[in-house]
Amino acid sequence: MADDNKDKKATSEQKVGVYVCHCGGNISDHVAVEEVCKNAEKIPGVVKVQNDVFMCSDPGQELIMEDIKNGTVDRVVVASCAPDLHSSTFRNAIQRAGGNPYIYEHANIREQVSWVHHGDQATNKATRLVAAAAAKARELQPLEPFKVDAKRHVTVIGGGIAGLKSALDLARKGLDVALIDKSPFLGGWTAKWDRAFPTDDPVSELVTALAGEVLNSEKITVYTCSRITAFEGFIGNFKLTLTQAPPESDAYEDEIKRLSDSGKGFGEFVPLAGICPAGIPETTTTHDIETGAIVLATGFLPYAPRYGEYRYGESKEVITLPELIRIMAENRQKGVGDTLEINDRKIRSVAMIHCVGSRQIPGIHEPDAKGNLNEYCSRTCCSATLHAASMIRNNHPKTRVFDFYRDIRTYGRGQEELYEEASDSKVVFFRFEADAPPEVTRNTGSGDFPLNIKVKDTLTFDEELEMPVDLVVLAVGMEPGNISDLVEMMKLPVGVDGFLQEVHPKLRPVEIAQSGVLLAGTCQAPFDMGETCSAASGAAAKASAILGKGYVELDPFVAEVDLNKCLGTGTCVNACIVEGALSLVEMDVDGEKVKRAQVNPALCTGCGACVAVCPENAINVKGWTLKQYEDMVDMIVSDRILPSQTA
Amino acid sequence: MTQVYPEFADELEGFGVNTTMDCFNCGTCAAICPLIYEHFPRKMIRYAQIGAKDRILENYEDLWRCLHCGLCIQTCPREADPGDLILGLRRFVVDHWRRT
Ligand SMILES: Cc1cc2nc3c(=O)[nH]c(=O)nc-3n(C[C@H](O)[C@H](O)[C@H](O)COP(=O)(O)OP(=O)(O)OC[C@H]3O[C@@H](n4cnc5c(N)ncnc54)[C@H](O)[C@@H]3O)c2cc1C
Ligand code: SF4
Ligand code: SF4
Ligand code: SF4
Repeated sequence: MADDNKDKKATSEQKVGVYVCHCGGNISDHVAVEEVCKNAEKIPGVVKVQNDVFMCSDPGQELIMEDIKNGTVDRVVVASCAPDLHSSTFRNAIQRAGGNPYIYEHANIREQVSWVHHGDQATNKATRLVAAAAAKARELQPLEPFKVDAKRHVTVIGGGIAGLKSALDLARKGLDVALIDKSPFLGGWTAKWDRAFPTDDPVSELVTALAGEVLNSEKITVYTCSRITAFEGFIGNFKLTLTQAPPESDAYEDEIKRLSDSGKGFGEFVPLAGICPAGIPETTTTHDIETGAIVLATGFLPYAPRYGEYRYGESKEVITLPELIRIMAENRQKGVGDTLEINDRKIRSVAMIHCVGSRQIPGIHEPDAKGNLNEYCSRTCCSATLHAASMIRNNHPKTRVFDFYRDIRTYGRGQEELYEEASDSKVVFFRFEADAPPEVTRNTGSGDFPLNIKVKDTLTFDEELEMPVDLVVLAVGMEPGNISDLVEMMKLPVGVDGFLQEVHPKLRPVEIAQSGVLLAGTCQAPFDMGETCSAASGAAAKASAILGKGYVELDPFVAEVDLNKCLGTGTCVNACIVEGALSLVEMDVDGEKVKRAQVNPALCTGCGACVAVCPENAINVKGWTLKQYEDMVDMIVSDRILPSQTA
Repeated sequence: MTQVYPEFADELEGFGVNTTMDCFNCGTCAAICPLIYEHFPRKMIRYAQIGAKDRILENYEDLWRCLHCGLCIQTCPREADPGDLILGLRRFVVDHWRRT
């Protein structure tokens, strides 16, 4: 990370090549490309101008590579689409031709020009942007990416199926893994269900398959009853402290009881609890872990209905879907009769209500204590509800099922079939509007049913229908888990829905803004198990790609201090927004002990906050120096290329 | 207020109808039906699903409007055979008259 000033040359010698793209008409329909090229020839330093229908095509890239190889140009400007799309394409082409990829500058004349302007205005603006880019290109210096040693070790936080799957994939890639769960069990919520839709696999088999291999792997160290209590460092070199402690008095009481009642040993699957790998600690210990990457797999929480929501809490006959799943699993162990039974009470009819705690609408639904509404669809409750509904009908033919939905969203492979199966097994469906949910009341009418349901049913032309029931099941959705401690400590990005947020939902779905920290599973959004495992494998693949080489390469666009100018005022350090990226250190300058600014390039994000405040202009972001900005602005306003301000 | 009576779908099996619950109320049959009349035949099918016998008996005349063209049977995405259901409902209505 030494100062590379020594091979800087006088800028007037740089030979800039300008390559203008037609984008197959996307640009050239509105920008007169030939004219832009003619104008570009007048830009100081430009020695060659070419254009092509598609610069990103192989023949387009060849144009640049030829000119680099035979020394015609040593700085490159491509004028085309947004830099996000293809600047790496052109940097790579330069590198393949033997050039330094950082002698490249991009002019966006599609999104910023042809898509928003027409005629002369478009052509003139394109010319000015190209001129500015060429002016900057003359000032560009070859740069090298930073190499930072990386620990070939990954920490996976959360031992649900996301965490298990990630850990396993990483171990198979030869990386060492620490797998951490705050509970005494592995398996997360998956272990607390019964059979998984849409395949009807017993969850015991799914969890055992993953956890069994995890526990046998020499590469994976499992820490249960553990939480991360300290975090520092950067990609390749994180330092974590984890604290392993006995669970608080009433935490995991039910699961621990199931473990001792089951007679099962450590490492064995306990129904409705999970796999306890190795006992429950009696004392508190801490462990320090040095790790190269972190996979967050902290999962979700089922929505807890408010007291009185559909009479939840007021009537013991109103339960949630997780509670129903648990009861049905326990019933199966006891053997099933033709009528579903709960606490020896025969359930002749059950109402299942969808979207409880999901798809909430401002003005219609009541926000929670913190003022939040869950406006998203939880994506799994429709399928889980219909799967349970068919199970009731098939196992207990004398129990009727009424299903109240807003929309049926059984979207995945094999899931529409769950809807058909439910119809086949004679589940009766009712559809309600968000502002007219079914009304659950105590039954005062006929029969000995405890509850009565009234609904304005849109399937029956908004007629009011009524039916007595023995049980109401609320299909509760997923909410973000409570990981505010991690969010605070690791500065994790949280979306408006409260789940952790990726960099880009399509293009970078498992990464977050912090390099080296990845997302796996339902800590990011509601997913079913299959989607969770895909995300977990994605995160594992990303982590092993990052750490596979034993070092990481970081973009060189970070701040750099010019020690000839720095007076050690520290203004920049105060302005820096990333802790640890910039500091004042003592050093020898001309035999004198002085304080000077020093950049930690692994932490610096290249935001430029320091550049703006330094009174001496002694700090600059490489590849984006103040001088480069000045030259760009000078060229935009200059009338050397275009006669007047026409753009 | 209509009381839901889900056992009706079982009763209808005695009249040769076993697709009552297959319908998912998309309305395709009502759109294709040349009668273009008051959501016919879906409305009747819905009444059958929820066991609204009174509604069916009140509106029995509608059942005899059906032309047996079979268009709805061809287009129903759930293969719920709506036209056949209409025939089954007629048998139910006639049977009901006989008994009362
Ligand atoms: C009622 C219901 C039924 C469902 N049925 C099905 C089904 O049949 N089929 C299907 O495909 N999907 C189903 N799902 C979805 C399925 O449950 C999820 O896809 C799956 O559980 C997600 O796994 P996960 O590992 O992301 O999260 P989780 O299962 O929530 O696991 C997260 C783990 O992280 C741990 N953890 C959390 N915070 C921390 C922390 N700070 N430090 C350390 N550890 C932490 C937790 O203890 C837990 O073990 C259902 C969901 C619901 C709500
Ligand atoms: S999956 Fe179904 S029940 Fe769940 S929130 Fe979405 S629409 Fe509602
Ligand atoms: S009978 Fe078929 S076409 Fe008619 S509403 Fe039902 S599913 Fe749709
Ligand atoms: S069979 Fe009867 S209900 Fe079906 S489309 Fe023809 S007329 Fe309409």
